[in-house]
Amino acid sequence: MFRELAALTRREYIKLARNPQAIFTSLLLPLLYLILFGQGFSINPAALVTPYCNLQCVLNSYFRGAPSYYSYFAAGMVGFVAVTASLFLGANVIFDKLFGIFKRTRGTPAPSAAVFGSRLIAGMTQPILLALFVLGLATVFTHVPGLKGLSITQSVGALGWAEALAAIVLLSGLFATLFLTFGVLLEVPQTYFAAVNLINLPVLLTSDALYPWGTMPAWLKTISQYNPVSLAVNVLRETFFGTAAYPHGYGPGVYLLGLLAWTAVLVVIAIVLVRRALRPLD
Amino acid sequence: MQSTGAIVAEQLVKVYNGKVKAVQGVSFDVPPAQVFGFLGPNGAGKTTTVSMLSAGLRPTSGRAVIDGLDVAKEPERVKRRIGVIFQESTADGDLTGRENLEVAAGCYGLSRAEGRKQAEMLLEHMQLGDAAERYAKTYSGGMRRRLELAVGLVHQPKILFLDEPTLGLDPQGRAGFWGFIDGLRRDRGLTVFVTTHYLDEADTMCERIAIIDHGEIVSTGSPNELKDRLGGDVVTLTTADGGRDLTEALRAVPGVSTVQRQDGRYRVKCSSGETFVPRAVETISKAGVGVTGVTVKRPSLDEVFLEFTGREFREDEGPTATDRAVMLQRVQGALQGRR
Repeated sequence: MFRELAALTRREYIKLARNPQAIFTSLLLPLLYLILFGQGFSINPAALVTPYCNLQCVLNSYFRGAPSYYSYFAAGMVGFVAVTASLFLGANVIFDKLFGIFKRTRGTPAPSAAVFGSRLIAGMTQPILLALFVLGLATVFTHVPGLKGLSITQSVGALGWAEALAAIVLLSGLFATLFLTFGVLLEVPQTYFAAVNLINLPVLLTSDALYPWGTMPAWLKTISQYNPVSLAVNVLRETFFGTAAYPHGYGPGVYLLGLLAWTAVLVVIAIVLVRRALRPLD
Repeated sequence: MQSTGAIVAEQLVKVYNGKVKAVQGVSFDVPPAQVFGFLGPNGAGKTTTVSMLSAGLRPTSGRAVIDGLDVAKEPERVKRRIGVIFQESTADGDLTGRENLEVAAGCYGLSRAEGRKQAEMLLEHMQLGDAAERYAKTYSGGMRRRLELAVGLVHQPKILFLDEPTLGLDPQGRAGFWGFIDGLRRDRGLTVFVTTHYLDEADTMCERIAIIDHGEIVSTGSPNELKDRLGGDVVTLTTADGGRDLTEALRAVPGVSTVQRQDGRYRVKCSSGETFVPRAVETISKAGVGVTGVTVKRPSLDEVFLEFTGREFREDEGPTATDRAVMLQRVQGALQGRR
């Protein structure tokens, strides 16, 4: 099993490295958001201060304790790119089916866990690296005169960084699993992209990745609380900006557990469906 | 009774969606180290049968046994003992020839070192050594086919399934391909199960042939046995006196099955042309007529095919699978460029 997994994973990394256009375009999307949208879109928290809610109260209620919208948004972008960078993973499976490459792999004794697992491992790499790229670049922007950037207001220890990384890995794994499962189950690229859009947009638009928390209607806040993208970005926000905006008092671990539950449920469903689809005899 | 054949099909049936009967009770037994040809018109059930034998498709009923293993019960062990060359091109165009082989070796559980060694050996054997570091998408049709054969052999299988392996290859490429297969059969005792559109290949390369039509095997035997079943050779005689009818005299010659007279010529089907011709010349001479022309023709597999399927064998039915795969690969390249 390990040799099969290693060989197929190597193939995925080779193909990824030989597709500079895909790497470039995957970098372009977060860059455009961080530079054009993030720098252009502005909410002045001071303007929201009232006699009943001072500046810190505004930051807590609108931006989950972040010192600015940009800081709030940058943490949200991490979740955003983890989803968008996974979108094409299943399409690659469908193209491999069309070109006979998937058939040949299935003609070998490589178990379905190796066939799927290799794509999952390689497929998660890009979203994780992109998420770290977003975090790094948004932090660098803080030190560039004239640019807004991500200001981490808390002292983040090893545990905090481990929690943030775990959130990124789990979110990437969740969506990579989802889209790869679509790729294994579906045969036609058009059907795949229709299914992806059906998931992608509602998931992102019902999360608080980009919307300021304080501006969301109550019903959307309720939905957002259970959204895996929200769960992941709130691990980062609570870690980076403190617990004041999170009155539940459980710390970022509670979001991580929620995300873990989502991932576990999806992985179990994916195992059942993929094993059935890739069983040795049709 | 347990069969000792390398490939055994016992009443294999495949029905798609409960309606389409692709294969209807196919049975045969291929002994080890034999090249077995499986011929049939398009849609006859050849590829479905190969898929059932190579653990790619579950039969609706019946049993397939490969090297003593029941395919339905032990598909993964079966896959370790067989190599499959699919009808369509399956080389990964974005990998080099060497990488294609190394990945395939890993899929069969070979270590990196074993995979490298096998890849090196096969690249040289297939005369792909100079192109080993080139992307497979830059290979010609013949090179791709040789690479795919190398991929099918990377784990040193005992049995090789070839589904239209030389489709799209030029005559030189076909000859080279079959030369290599023949070498493997002789040197390593490889059993080969091949479906092909080229009857001349089947005639020269296969020790036994089964003809399938409408999902059923209509005839099995060696190429010569199949030809003999048509009634032996066809002899055409032309006489100096076209006006005299010698049909009855010729019909009386031993070994003759039919005699047809047309335009002063006689078309005689007989068990052996070699023994018939001297006797026929003698018979005609005794009748006081001179023989001005004789041709002896052995029936070809084309005629066998026509006899058993009622259809002419057509080699060209649109673009080849390799052509289609190359076209698709180009489309993929264009799509990737846009993303």
